[in-house]
Amino acid sequence: MAKFDLSFATAYQNASGSLGFIPPVDHPDVARLGAFVTNPISLKPRSATRSPLVIRYPGGFLLHTGYPNPGLRMAMQRFAPHWSRMEIPVIVHLLCIRVSDLPEMINRLEKVSGIIAIELGLPPQIEPDMLLSLAQAVVGELPIIMRIPLDQVNGLIDKLALLAGEHGIAAFSLGPPRGVLPGGTNRLVHGRLYGPGIFPFAMAALHRLAALKVPVIGGGGVYSLEQAEVMLAAGALAVQFDAVLWRGSIPEK
Amino acid sequence: MRLYDASIRELRYYTPDQPAAWIVCPAEAIPAPGRYIAAWAAADTAAPLSTPLFAAQIAPDGFLAAPPIPLSWEPGAILELRGPLGQGFTLPATARRLALAALAETAARLLPVIPMALQSDIAVALFSDSPIPNIPSAVEIYPVQDLPEALAWADILMLDMPVDELERLRGRLRMKPEDRLPCSAQALILTAMPCSGIAECGACFVPGRRKWKQACQDGPVFDLNELTW
Repeated sequence: MAKFDLSFATAYQNASGSLGFIPPVDHPDVARLGAFVTNPISLKPRSATRSPLVIRYPGGFLLHTGYPNPGLRMAMQRFAPHWSRMEIPVIVHLLCIRVSDLPEMINRLEKVSGIIAIELGLPPQIEPDMLLSLAQAVVGELPIIMRIPLDQVNGLIDKLALLAGEHGIAAFSLGPPRGVLPGGTNRLVHGRLYGPGIFPFAMAALHRLAALKVPVIGGGGVYSLEQAEVMLAAGALAVQFDAVLWRGSIPEK
Repeated sequence: MRLYDASIRELRYYTPDQPAAWIVCPAEAIPAPGRYIAAWAAADTAAPLSTPLFAAQIAPDGFLAAPPIPLSWEPGAILELRGPLGQGFTLPATARRLALAALAETAARLLPVIPMALQSDIAVALFSDSPIPNIPSAVEIYPVQDLPEALAWADILMLDMPVDELERLRGRLRMKPEDRLPCSAQALILTAMPCSGIAECGACFVPGRRKWKQACQDGPVFDLNELTW
């Protein structure tokens, strides 16, 4: 597959972190997916943060977990045979801790059948210049999708247009923004924000990127099939669902 | 994945701010003691997360869901249920004296164990500081501060506690770090379970002796000896 080829049988995907490392076989929405995106995988294993937290607020919730995962070697040992046998293509989400780790990680994944692309999860508050070095580090055969947190789109937008045009990044997916909420006595908790309250921000980011002809996979607060269609009509290549998949089935409206 | 439709028949108030909901549902959807079922109000399509429901009382046509439940739920509301999920309490065949201890804001999640135990001629003592409705007279009730004395009496201990209480549990039981429990013990660990077993999202990890465990799948009821406390 050429680096720029990125097409899906259907325009729906799960967002990384929403359906595990392999999809639950009996989940009613898996049949809708044009690609399955894995949970974030880092080079080395990561355990959960000592104090994982979920804090609800009107319109959504903040999630603080530390991205626990078994590391690339163990993840490939446990899950790659499943990825190869799955009926839907797989996008492996790599957690970018150090740019220098990425070439080796991608090289290993290129040998696994069933994987059609790599999605890169960026470190929090990435500097625009680091995006360029990241793009140069991920040269390979598989198409690369960069997941941009919604709160960083505005600050990076010029670089995103450049990366899509000159550096061959196949698409940008919209990831959950980071936020801060009080989490108990004299404590502030940083984490990722999910929920339907995010959707208007996701639409605004999608509009800005689509206007610049930047290829975008929409996502963020999409809680119905109707909202997904709105994103597709606004120019998204595909749409990723996140926490709504924990409901059991995506509502029509 | 098992999905069911259900409805709320009535609300019962243990305390003014702690409603419990009587859920009418198929028998297969009723969670066994300590297990849970993920629930949404069907009309609330934008609810960001499900609510895990635990049984406080079980009947052939449904169950009383222990508090907390969303305050927006009202009688007549239609619910969507996914589950039942997780691991619940198990009464060993050899058990003769059961101590139940509620270290959270309610004893309700422990209550469905009581009829199971009494049917098997197991003596039951309940340690709780919260209001307790409709307890059979055969059950002895004590304040939580008396719990350490139960360790010499019980041959099985069942706890209901927030995950944060694990680090305080030795103190509450007046046990030294090197002490071992004189009886078997199971603990229902309360923590947020946003993906309820679908995604390994990492929000409900509980410190285990050998590795981290997920409350949503490995629990929420654990053998206490498998946890770090």
